[in-house]
Parts: sequence; C-alpha cells; structure tokens
Amino acid sequence: MSAVTEHGAPPRGLVEPTLGKKIRSWVANPWGHPRFLVVITWLYVVISIVPAVVAIQFSFNAGRSVTAWQGFDLTRWYFGDPAYSVWHDPRLQHAFWQSLKLAGLDMAIATPLGVLLALGLARWRGPLASASNFIMLFPLVTPELMMGVSLFLVFLHIFKFIQPGTTAQVLGHVTFSLSYVVVIVRGRLFSIGKQYEEAAADLGATPAESLRLVLLPLLLPAVFSSLMMVFAISIDDFVISQWLSCGSECDTVPIRVYSSTRGAPLPSVNALAAIMVYMTLSAIGIAYLVYRFMTRGERRSGEHQRGGMVQTMGGFDM
Amino acid sequence: MAKRDLQIESILTGYRRGFLSRRAALKALGAFGLAAGASPLLDFAALADEAGKQAGIGGIPLARPDKPVTLPVNGSPIKSGMEPEKGPFNIFNYQDYVDQKSVIDTFSKKYNVEVVLTTFDSMDQAITRLASGSVDADSTNITPDRLAQAVAGKLIQPINQDYIPNLGKNIFKSLQNPYYDQGSQYSVPYNLYSTGIGWRSDKVKEDIAGMANPWSVFWDDNSKKYSGYFGILDDTRESLGMAMMYRGQYDVNTEDSDLLEKALADLKATVPVCNPKINITEYQTLADGSMYLHQSWSGDLLGAAVFYMPEGADKSVLQYWWPGKGKGVVQNDCWSILAKSKKPVLAHLWLNHLLDSEVSYNNFTGFTGYQPAQAAINADQLVKDGILPAQLKNTILTEDDLGAGSLQYGALTAKGQALWQNAYARFNSGA
Amino acid sequence: MYPKWLWPVFAVPGVLWLILLFLVPFYAVIGVAFGGVDPIFMNAVPNWNPADWQFDSMLTTLGGFLPGNQYWAVLLRTTVYVALALAGSLLLGYPVAYYISRHAKRTKGILLALVVLPFWVSYMMRMLAWVNLFSPNGFVNKFLLWTHIVNTPPDWLNGNPASVVLGLIYGYIPYLILPLLAALDRIDRSILEAARDLGANPAEAFYHVTLPLSKPGILGASVIIALPMFGDYYTPNIVSGSPRTSMLGNQIDIFFHGGPQPSVGAALTLILSAFLAVLMAYYMVTIAKAQKELQA
Repeated sequence: MSAVTEHGAPPRGLVEPTLGKKIRSWVANPWGHPRFLVVITWLYVVISIVPAVVAIQFSFNAGRSVTAWQGFDLTRWYFGDPAYSVWHDPRLQHAFWQSLKLAGLDMAIATPLGVLLALGLARWRGPLASASNFIMLFPLVTPELMMGVSLFLVFLHIFKFIQPGTTAQVLGHVTFSLSYVVVIVRGRLFSIGKQYEEAAADLGATPAESLRLVLLPLLLPAVFSSLMMVFAISIDDFVISQWLSCGSECDTVPIRVYSSTRGAPLPSVNALAAIMVYMTLSAIGIAYLVYRFMTRGERRSGEHQRGGMVQTMGGFDM
Repeated sequence: MAKRDLQIESILTGYRRGFLSRRAALKALGAFGLAAGASPLLDFAALADEAGKQAGIGGIPLARPDKPVTLPVNGSPIKSGMEPEKGPFNIFNYQDYVDQKSVIDTFSKKYNVEVVLTTFDSMDQAITRLASGSVDADSTNITPDRLAQAVAGKLIQPINQDYIPNLGKNIFKSLQNPYYDQGSQYSVPYNLYSTGIGWRSDKVKEDIAGMANPWSVFWDDNSKKYSGYFGILDDTRESLGMAMMYRGQYDVNTEDSDLLEKALADLKATVPVCNPKINITEYQTLADGSMYLHQSWSGDLLGAAVFYMPEGADKSVLQYWWPGKGKGVVQNDCWSILAKSKKPVLAHLWLNHLLDSEVSYNNFTGFTGYQPAQAAINADQLVKDGILPAQLKNTILTEDDLGAGSLQYGALTAKGQALWQNAYARFNSGA
Repeated sequence: MYPKWLWPVFAVPGVLWLILLFLVPFYAVIGVAFGGVDPIFMNAVPNWNPADWQFDSMLTTLGGFLPGNQYWAVLLRTTVYVALALAGSLLLGYPVAYYISRHAKRTKGILLALVVLPFWVSYMMRMLAWVNLFSPNGFVNKFLLWTHIVNTPPDWLNGNPASVVLGLIYGYIPYLILPLLAALDRIDRSILEAARDLGANPAEAFYHVTLPLSKPGILGASVIIALPMFGDYYTPNIVSGSPRTSMLGNQIDIFFHGGPQPSVGAALTLILSAFLAVLMAYYMVTIAKAQKELQA
C-alpha cells in the first residue's frame, strides 16, 4: 500500500486525526469493542481500590474521626498515641502478633502437606484417588461458617483434648489452606509436564534424585506462590478464627476490625488493618520478584505467558 | 456430665413434671442403685412444687426477688484460717470488666501471685466452657440466673465467709442475703445496673423521661424521623422484656408462650417505625453520636460520659431514664469460686479483694463505669467529685432499688429458655 | 519410573488431615443435630450411633422452612441477596476479566496487578473501608450532597438491603475475577481467529465462541463466591445492624452462641449444607468431566 501520493502530501486515509476528531469518534461509538470495556475496567479498579486507600489515609488522621479528615499525623495511631495506638493498645498489638503467628504456622504446615498432597493426587490413579480428589476440593466451596461450626463442634465433642485456642485455630486454618496449595501446585505440575523427569530418567537418575534435583526445583515457584497465598488467606480469615477463639487472647486482626465496625471505630483500627496490608503487599511484591527470577529460564520474549503467576494462583483446574 | 447423672436428672424432672408416678420414679431410681436414698430426693423435688416455686434445672427452685431460694450445699467449704497458695491464679471474666491496674495488679502485689485472666464473650459461652472443662479457672464472674445451674452441675463450691469480711462490711444489706443465694453460700455480688433508655438530648429533642410511657418512643410514629438511629440491646431477655414492659406486663420471667408471642409481635413492630439496630455498643455509639437513642444499661451511660466522649464534648447531652423499682429491671452479677479450683484460699481472698471499698471504687470510676454493690457509693458524692455528670444521677442505684419488689431477670426452665430463644431468633430473622 | 506406591504415600498425610479435620467434624455436626441436650447445662450431647438419633429437633427445624415460617423468610432473603450479588459481580467482573485477558496489551501487567490487589487486602479491611465511606458523614454522602444529587444524606448503613447486596458484591468480587481471568486466559486465541476468518463479526464471535468457551470459567468462579456467600453472617452485621437484612448465617449464629438448643443450630447447618450440596454436586460433576477431558 503506497503511503505517498503526489507532491508528498500525506494520503487522505492516513491523516492523524485531531484530538477533537478522536473524542468525537470515541463518543460516537462508545460501545465499540474495547472502549466500553476500558471504562468499566478502570471504573472497577478505582471503585475497588479507592475505599482501601481512603481507609489507609484515615489511619494517618490527626484526630479521632474515621470520616472527617482532621489533618495529617504520621505516627499517632501507629505508635504515637500512648493509649490507643497500635503499638500501645495491648489488644491491637496482641491481635497483630496472633495473626502473624497463625499465618506463620499455617504456612509452615499447610505448604509441605499441600505439596505432597498435590503430587500424590496429580499422579495417583484409581477410584481411591478420585475420592481423595473429591475430598480435597470440598473445602474450596464450603462456606466458612460451616467449617467453623463443624470444627467448633468437633473440638467440643470428639477431639476434646484440643481446646478452642491458638492450636485449634491453626488446625482450622491449615484445613482450608490445603486445598489452595494443592490447586496451585497442581497447576504448576500440569504446565511442567512429565518431560523433564523423563529426561532425567533417561539420563540415569534414580526416582529419589529425579524428585529432588528435577521436580522440586521446578516446583519451587509454585511452592513460593502457595506460601504467599496461604499467608494472605490466613491473615484474612475471620470466621474460623472467631469460632475457634478462646477469648480476647486469641483474637486476630480481622476479629478486632469486625468488633470495631460494630461499635465506634478509632483510626487505630485503620492503622492495624493498614499494617497488615503493607505486609501482605510486600510479601506479594517479593513473591512476584522471586517468581520471575525463578522462572526466568522459561520465558522467551514475545511468547504468551501460559504459566504466569496469576494463572498459577487463579488456576482452579478446569 | 456422666450419662448416669443425666438419666437420674431426667427421672427427677419427670417426677416433678408429673410424667412419672412416685412409684415409677422410685423404681427407675432403684435401677441406679439409689433406692435407699431416693425417697428424700423425691421429697425435695415434691417440696419444691408444694412451696409454689417452679422447679428449674437440677431440681433447684427458680429464684425470684419475692421467692428467695437457698441453694443446696454440695460439699463443704474450705476451713478457715488457711494460708494462701502460690500462683498462678486464674480468673474467668468478660473482657474489659476488671481493671488491670487497680484490681489485678494490686491483688498480684498483695499476695505475690501472678494473675491470669481468661475471657469469655457471653455468659452462655462461659457456662459451656466451664462445663466442658475446657477452662482451668479458680474464680469466675457469673450471673444470678446461672447460679442454680452451676450449683446443680457442681461447677462452683460453697464459700467460707470468714475469708471475706468485706462482704458484711461494705456491701448493700439486701445483697448480703440475696434472693438467688440466701446466705451468700456460693457468691458475692459484683456490679449493679439497671436497664432503661439512654439518649442524647442534642439529637432527640423530645422529653423522654417526661412521657407517660417512655418505652413507647420505639413505637411512636413520631420516631420515624429518627429511623436508623435507635437501638435495642442484643440480648434475648432484655429485648423481649422491654416489649413486655411497654405493654405494662411486668412478669419478665414468664414462660407463657402467648405473652412471648405478643412481645415478639411488638418488637417486630418497632422495625417499620424506627428501624432499630441491635447491638450492645451503645456506650461508644451514643458517645460519638452515631446513635441517638438506645435501650441501655446504666453503666453504659456512665462509661460513655466518662471514657468515650470525645475531648471537649459536652457531657450534659447524655441522658438516662429508668422506670423505677418494680417497673424496670435491675440486675447484679457475682463472682464465685470454681469447685475444681486448686487455689481456693486465694480465690476467697480474691473475692474479698473485689469487695474492698477502695479497690472497687477505683475499678468503677477508673475503668468499668459499672456501679459496684458498695453501700458507700453515693450519687451526690460522685457528682461532687466530678466523676458523674449531674444529669446522670439516676444511673446510680441505691439499696432500696433492690430486694423484694424489684424486677430481675431470673433463671428459667429449659423449656422457658427455649421459648425465649426461639422468639428472639424469630425477631432477628426479620420474618 | 516412580514406584507405584509413591504417589498414594505422598497423598496420605494430606488426605488423612482432611478426613480428620473436615469430614469428621461434619459428622460431629450430624451427631449434634440428631443428639440430645444435657438437662443441666443445655450442652449438646451428640449421638454417634445412628440407632440413637433423635429426629424431633430436625423435624421442628425443617418445619420452620415451610413457607410463611421463620426460616423460610430468611432463606428466601438470603437466596435473593446471593443471586443479586452474584449477578452484579458477574456483570461487573466479566467485562473486566474479559478486557484484561483479551485486549489490554501494554497495560495488561499494570491492570492485572491493580485487579489482583484487592484480593490481597483483607476482607475485613475492605468492609471497614466501605463502612467508613458510607457512614452518615462519610465521603460518599459528602460527595452526594456537594454535587446536589440528593438534599439529605441518605442512610446507607441502617438496614438497607441494597447496602448489603452492594457490600456482598464489593467484598466477593475479587474472588470472582481472579479465577475468571485465569479461565479466560486459557481460551485459545486461534479458535477466535478461526471464527473471525469464517466471517463472524466481533459480537457474533463473542456470543458464539468466547461465551460458550468461558462457561466453565464462569461456573467455577460463580460457585467459588456464591457458596461461601450463603454462609455469610458478618457482612449484614457490619453493613447493617438490622434484623430486616439478616441472612441464614445469622440464625445459625444465634443458636450456637449459647442457649438451650444447640441441636437446632446443628440442624440448620445441616439443612444449609444439603441445600448447597446440590449446587456443589453440579459443580463437582462439571469439574470431573472437564478434568477427564483434560487428561484424556
């Protein structure tokens, strides 16, 4: 297609439209395929993020209100206020440590257990395997209230040696985290395929060596994603923690936030929630960087990423 | 609870309710090897009925202010004059209901023990956890309507008042021999409160206290303009009880299902009028203005005025109205000693410590805002000391407000509890 | 290459865990629902042996579900809220997921990050933010007054069913978008190009190719948020304290936190499970079919 006509004047069809023309054509056809979607997408992004941003903003409020901005004070609700700040209010601080404790234990137990389970379920065949797979998928779709009620009752009537408290909370957290780990790791397994292990076998590796030197390193990105996922859902958990709680010592951050929304919240609660957000986001940021670093060998420029982190984490087997 | 005990209980209950004849009951009890001792058991059960008192859980009569009850003694209290044990000492309590500084730390220092506090969210949860043995505590906070249950289930032990001189010295006379525990065999009183209406005069201009029936503010069409800013207590007894008192029905311990249906219908009728919120955070929400009027406990108004009002705010806007003795509910809670406690002497000393006049005054004015059962506490003095705003003098109860003729929520039979709970659940379902 | 026993052995600890802490607790609920009550403390006395099961509590509770009775109203209300919230989430979430997976070229990374972000912000934090914004003198009302859209500040948080539905959408939509995105991403572009080559215009290509191919994704994402929504009791409590908007979860909550009828609470839980099991079964069957196709 020749781009030049006589005398170097630009061809009519390829004149760069003026801004006015651009806007007019946009408005004239707002339902044109991408435009409507662009608006909706950015609208959604704004609507979903702005409230959290505003809540974090109010954690820096100079006054006690959570609705009226009274000036900026960086530290009052974090560690400044001698009675009510997160650092000084024992209940808020305790909730913070309890949340971290539960998340840490959850990560430590659910991840190895889940990786093993994922490997087992992905490669095991037979009716028992299908049944186990079925059981594994259940927690993903069970309402948390039902898990909370059933765990509460089981610790009251059957496993009476475990009282409501931190141990019970950890056990509950691991139970619902397992399925997420399995799904993530299994997704990664599918995208890896059997090729590398078969190659290793061809080269003379024993099963143990193949597992240790080939499969596990390849799974590490998924293990990492699982760790972060488990961290996030454990920090976020409200129902299970509440039902298995022993009282105010076992309260986690979501429980504190919940009680405060029903009373008169102070910005210190915003500060507490904000701290958890900072931690989770940093963890995700680190995880993302580590993931990219670990999978750097698998990306070639221009290729559509089938194994990206979102796919890995959102990949509920379909 | 051993299965055997349960079966014996159900036999006794069956006899009491008239389902079993005396002969059948004796025969059944004989199966448990109780033949010899069965007769007195049945006599006690019958006695309960003959005295006109309704028998409650465990065969213990339901106590009412005008029908005082002496709880059966299970075991003997510890001997006098023993030495306090070594720590740690475990107490079981609501959250934020005992001041760390003025009560717990002072006790810790005085007897050189570590005090460990375990908390519960509600009395139901407390009893469940104590009964299942999942909590290891020495002393617990408990409400009078649960005392009989705790005694029947042998959760608490009788106390030896030689260790608790403050009971006779400092406490209201009427509460030294309360109707729910004659002779104070198992409990000492802790805090008192009444239930009424708390509101902000800057938001609600009407003269609530001056109305002929102030409870009607929840039902009056005039309240529609405040829709969403009224609140009702999230409590089975208090909410339905309020609906009963609104109609002038003062038997708030009734188990009559017709009366409960009426109260439920009335409660439901408040929703289209003032769209009330159901919670117990009025001590915060009245203080910060997000609620204008709330069914409240007296201590909440005090707490709001003293602890939760923002700096510089005008405390005179907080108002409280209470119907008065016989028409409004008063309540007190107690502390008891657990039967399984390995530190009973310390537990007795703890109860005495709680009743100490200085300790309880500091606990009250510095932390909880709930009035202790101390005879020395005087509304005028509190106003003079600048603690109590003058218009909230009626949040302080006097000796005369308690005792015979007062209204208190007492224990119910299992069937009665189920009726109330079902009614409350139906109110909450918005059906 | 690997010994046959390796994979079952790997799976056993996890499966054992799930059996002990997921299936057995479920049986505990059954035992309490069909059990008795201790006459002194009104604690549940579960009946483990099916021969001992007592059905009166369950029958009474089931009776409450008949039209006109207490649980019927709540169930209806809960179902309506969940259906509306699901529809709202799909209406908002599908275009977003579609745009990001199919169209966003340069901005895909950023958009992905921004859309995933709320997923990592705790649900309670987002609800707290929502409540702060919609409180009587919060930013939303201030904005509405400032732009004169309304003259008096509307009451968002006082028993307003719309607030509850919006709150549910706001709370759960991130959990919908993520799986939906992943599923849409997996759709092979070449099929779409083939459709275009065969003469379909964009709308037809979407309707006849993309939509059917994304059905499993939509179903999966819907199930992932709809089923948990049925058990939600905290969102109505936070966003509206009124009995007008209470959901089934609130009823279960009442019967478990004390009182003489824990078996009613357990019975309600079982009934809710049965109600959801139908939906769950549909989901499981579809997943199993899809997996078989994947492995074939």
